[in-house]
Amino acid sequence: MMGPSRKTTREGGSFRDPCGFVFWRDGVVYRQVALIYQQHYDHLMSSGLYKALVEAGLLITHTEVGSESVSAESTYKCLKPEPVPFISYPYEWSFSQYRDAALTTLRIQKMALDHGMVLKDCSAYNVQFVNGKPVFIDTLSFEKYVEGEPWVAYRQYCQHFLAPLALMSLKDIRLSQLMRVHLDGIPLDLVSELLPFRTRFKFSILSHIHLHARSQQYFSDKRVRKNRHRVSRLALLGIVDSLESAVKGLAWQPKGTEWAEYYSDTNYSEEAFEEKKEVVRRFLEEIRPRDVWDLGGNTGIFSRVASTQGIPTVSFDVDPAAVEKNYRECRRNNEAKLLPLVMDLTNPSPDIGWQNEERMSLIERGPADTVLALALVHHLAISNNVPFSMIACFLASMCESAIVEFIPKTDSQVQRLLASREDMFPDYHEAAFEREFSQYFTLSKRVRLTGSERTIHVMKRKPL
Amino acid sequence: MNKKAAVLGAYGLPALVVLFGNQPFEGYLDAGSGSIILQAVLGVLIGALFAIKIFWHRIKAFFGALFSRGQTRDGSEPEDN
Repeated sequence: MMGPSRKTTREGGSFRDPCGFVFWRDGVVYRQVALIYQQHYDHLMSSGLYKALVEAGLLITHTEVGSESVSAESTYKCLKPEPVPFISYPYEWSFSQYRDAALTTLRIQKMALDHGMVLKDCSAYNVQFVNGKPVFIDTLSFEKYVEGEPWVAYRQYCQHFLAPLALMSLKDIRLSQLMRVHLDGIPLDLVSELLPFRTRFKFSILSHIHLHARSQQYFSDKRVRKNRHRVSRLALLGIVDSLESAVKGLAWQPKGTEWAEYYSDTNYSEEAFEEKKEVVRRFLEEIRPRDVWDLGGNTGIFSRVASTQGIPTVSFDVDPAAVEKNYRECRRNNEAKLLPLVMDLTNPSPDIGWQNEERMSLIERGPADTVLALALVHHLAISNNVPFSMIACFLASMCESAIVEFIPKTDSQVQRLLASREDMFPDYHEAAFEREFSQYFTLSKRVRLTGSERTIHVMKRKPL
Repeated sequence: MNKKAAVLGAYGLPALVVLFGNQPFEGYLDAGSGSIILQAVLGVLIGALFAIKIFWHRIKAFFGALFSRGQTRDGSEPEDN
């Protein structure tokens, strides 16, 4: 039970909505519900909306734990939500993950309207992937619907969901990274400028992006009273339906990128590949990790060695096409333990937002129990000139144990990296690798893969 | 105080409190003037299209049900043309 003297830490990104906030106590996450939100919270629970959303797997569950919290006089209730195993952000999602999150939000909006409520907040950060599916995590994002009132979160939905998806689909997949710069969604005037001219002939994009941007620009210095402009329930349902058609009409096919085709280009024999999987499986069975981060996981072949053992696994890769393929396979097989994410390890997600505390860096979200770094070190060391000591330091900052593959210069994959540049890596050899990693890890096992000079090392981080 | 002001004071203000007093967090998210106007204008058009769509689906569902009832009385699958 919580006590008033226990140390409470308010979640860095939870300060905008006066209806409540998220805080941590003794490593457990709680959500305070403010008194001003009382009637809306009661309606959420009594109207059957909460039950319907939870049963559909669309909203995070919670239990009420009493009203002890940081400011008791303004508190109505205190909730203990179901924990989210790994917090991910929109700029780390593949196209289909983003699209599924966008459609989930609209489905929730429609169900809310059926129960006399409406989403007052449509931030993409309110969606998280839990057990392989997008789930809404902000229980306080609902308010009672007042017939005729415009939808307050319409602009936010367009900026957080439709705009990035349109850019990814119709311009360039890499533009999802604009969400990292624009935390409250991508400004629509910028989106309108970036989208190809032909998109003006697509009614949904014309209306929700181009005209929306022009309207924002025109009325930017004019004050508009919200209750003077009626939006009937039918019109609101029409707008939601139109947004849904717009999102469903956006597509992207993952092909032609370097990494998505990596395994079909590789010099692996089928046997060597299976042996590598077997070695990783055996090592994981020995370590028995609570969770795994697969760094450079590509389409998730080795991540699945962990996730199929029931270990919650996050598979990071820099290539949006590889992550897209990985996610599609997760969805096809209903995989609950694997979360694929886009991540550039040479420039991982930083701490950003107000006071650099709203969105966590990758390292902040760790440490993971065990990290897989298979066919990764040579890319960091040769393509990015990162010394072994710094790679070891980086891995030590995010895990307790690591399974790391070393690929020597004689291997064709390394030769390929050296083909177009001068070999300025005299220290790139296994003895140096072992020496530098030994500064941070205790190297316990080493296995050489049959028919190659590649080795896989198991190591445990030394006490810091 | 004139009569209008007195009436407003007696009935108008309490009514406003009842109407809007339960939404103290209104405006926490900036809806955006341009977004509100666009919704109001677009809503009329899209709302009308949406009504037609719903109506059309209902007609289709009605005839679909009528048609499939005739086809599936013997348990066979309705033909999809």
